[in-house]
Amino acid sequence: MQGEITKPLITTQTAEGEIDLRAKKRPGEMIVQGFLFFCGAVSILTTVGIVFVLFEEALVFFRDPAVSLVEFFTKTMWQPKIGAFGIFPLLLATLLTSIIGMMVALPLGVAIAIYLSEYATPRNRSILKPVLEILAGVPTVVYGFFALSFVTPILRDAIGKDTVDLFNMASAGLVIGILILPLVASMSEDALSAVPRSLREAAYGLGATRLETALKIVVPAALSGLGAAFIVAISRAVGETMVVAIAAGSGPRNFASWGDAFKNLALFNPFKSGETMTGHIVRISGGDLSYNSIDYTSIFAIALMLFVITLTLNIISQQIVRRYRMRY
Amino acid sequence: MRFKVLVVLFALALAVTACAQPAATPAPTTAPEPTAAPAATTAPEPTMAPEPTAAPAATTAPEPTSAPTEAPAASGGTLPEVNPLDVTGDIITAGSSTVFPLSEAVAEKFREEGYAGNITIDSIGTGAGFERFCKTGETDVANASRAIKDSEVENCAAIGRTPVEFRVGTDALAVVVNPENDWLSEGVTLEELAKLFSKDSTNWSDVNAAWPNEPIKRFSPGTDSGTFDYFIEAVMDPAFDKKGEEALLGAANLQLSEDDNVLVQGVAGDKYAIGYFGFAYFLENEDKLLDIAVEGVQPTEETVNAGEYKLARPLFIYSDAKVMQDKPQVASFINFYLTSVNDVIGGVGYFPAPADALDAAAQAFLDATK
Repeated sequence: MQGEITKPLITTQTAEGEIDLRAKKRPGEMIVQGFLFFCGAVSILTTVGIVFVLFEEALVFFRDPAVSLVEFFTKTMWQPKIGAFGIFPLLLATLLTSIIGMMVALPLGVAIAIYLSEYATPRNRSILKPVLEILAGVPTVVYGFFALSFVTPILRDAIGKDTVDLFNMASAGLVIGILILPLVASMSEDALSAVPRSLREAAYGLGATRLETALKIVVPAALSGLGAAFIVAISRAVGETMVVAIAAGSGPRNFASWGDAFKNLALFNPFKSGETMTGHIVRISGGDLSYNSIDYTSIFAIALMLFVITLTLNIISQQIVRRYRMRY
Repeated sequence: MRFKVLVVLFALALAVTACAQPAATPAPTTAPEPTAAPAATTAPEPTMAPEPTAAPAATTAPEPTSAPTEAPAASGGTLPEVNPLDVTGDIITAGSSTVFPLSEAVAEKFREEGYAGNITIDSIGTGAGFERFCKTGETDVANASRAIKDSEVENCAAIGRTPVEFRVGTDALAVVVNPENDWLSEGVTLEELAKLFSKDSTNWSDVNAAWPNEPIKRFSPGTDSGTFDYFIEAVMDPAFDKKGEEALLGAANLQLSEDDNVLVQGVAGDKYAIGYFGFAYFLENEDKLLDIAVEGVQPTEETVNAGEYKLARPLFIYSDAKVMQDKPQVASFINFYLTSVNDVIGGVGYFPAPADALDAAAQAFLDATK
């Protein structure tokens, strides 16, 4: 068939003679191609630039005689102005707020996803989805004030003003959970909807109820997608800045020693104020530090740490998707 | 139909803005007067100070304790009058966040009286203000909540500037606690205050056994602010043998913020909190906070000017003789600042500078613009 179509083209004769079949030079096309390549390159170059600056400035920091790499990971106090460089208090606050956020976002997000993909009527879906998207569109600074002026007072009334600080990590964590909820929900829903219909029909055919189908067939089949969604959400929570900057506090949760930190398990108390890595970077860079001070280069070391964490998480999520994906 | 209405509305809006533009401008065009600076030459001869270069550092404001009276007004020079209507050109200032509201108030008055140029006032902290004034030379005026340091004078010299100091007011630090706090009604001593903010004490009872056995929640301005530096210098260093900064920053439950509102919120929200910041911020939040006496003295204009209240500090603006000569608008602004600062300072929440300090500033101005 193909031959029949192409053949006449090749042999087509015109008044001038045979048609030239070589690719026509199209300068316009080349310009467009070049431009598109440039656009792609910009994003790559930006990434390379950021990574380069991070490493360069962080190197300046770690080379400083006042800084020791061991203390950076083992000390329990971060206060650059007096030469205390232990990343732990910042890391701790980041982990606490992210974990609290995930405790909110995971169960709720997956429940929403199951409802949307397995239960919701088209009408309910058409209401719930846009609402979720609105939630995703709220600026994070609004979430920050929501945490400080709505969630915090509720926590303080419920648990007690002496226990819960005005600026506290629990409130910031809860709101981070709400913030990443749409992300978890929509990514999980994508994973669940990707499970072929035949699997569900087979389950129904064997007499499974809707709930059994959802929990025992669809969710396990979509596990790799769900796992990837969780990890992307964690890295989003770790990187969240505005909420913690406003609601969590503006001083690192310093301890004089590890003994102090573990006394009454004080370090796990989320109702205290603390400063996350991102929050600290924002506060310090918002001040008027001079560029050559160690306080200034220290924020690059924190940023590098943050970058390593999120990069690791993203790599893990890709590995999960690749390794545990089930093909149907 | 609706589209048409929109188009009409849009056109109307355009027309209105277009008309508003010329309407606002005529003021400066009617006054094509020469700049104000030459007026300085007509001023009565200052009594002494032969070379303007010698003047700057000499103005280290005399102690207010030496019984200030209204008499010394004669010894200071009388500033020439400024007509803001005649002043053209932009003015760039930057520096202390404490001086910011004061400069802002003066600038507003300057504009109200007819100045049509732009005054930039960046609130970036005293140190950064000097960096811009002395290192990069981007600014015409540096706002400062402390006197200039020798190292900063050197930086200035390197780019050919000699900072001239003008005292414009006095700020007091307010030490504040939560209104529910009932154990500090007698106030604190400087020593107690230093202990409350140091790493040596965790609970209130560590400082005074009669105080509650609850953690001290400390709220301090950020380490870049002049207020922090001043607190270290005036409270922490004397008590901790020059290691005040370490003593304060090593403390647990410490919140540092450049944003004074965060501090106000923090102290207002916690019974066991204590904080400090500029008196102006306290006045704005008088209903939410309690200010306590230091060494038995409450901050008021009398106690501050009499030197009885320990935590008061001078506020300055700095410029350079050459800048003032090259940019007459800067000289006019400083002149205006010195003559009208006392009209606005009360509204901002600071205390007027002692009369002799203001006179010294006027004299420095005359010397620099001679």
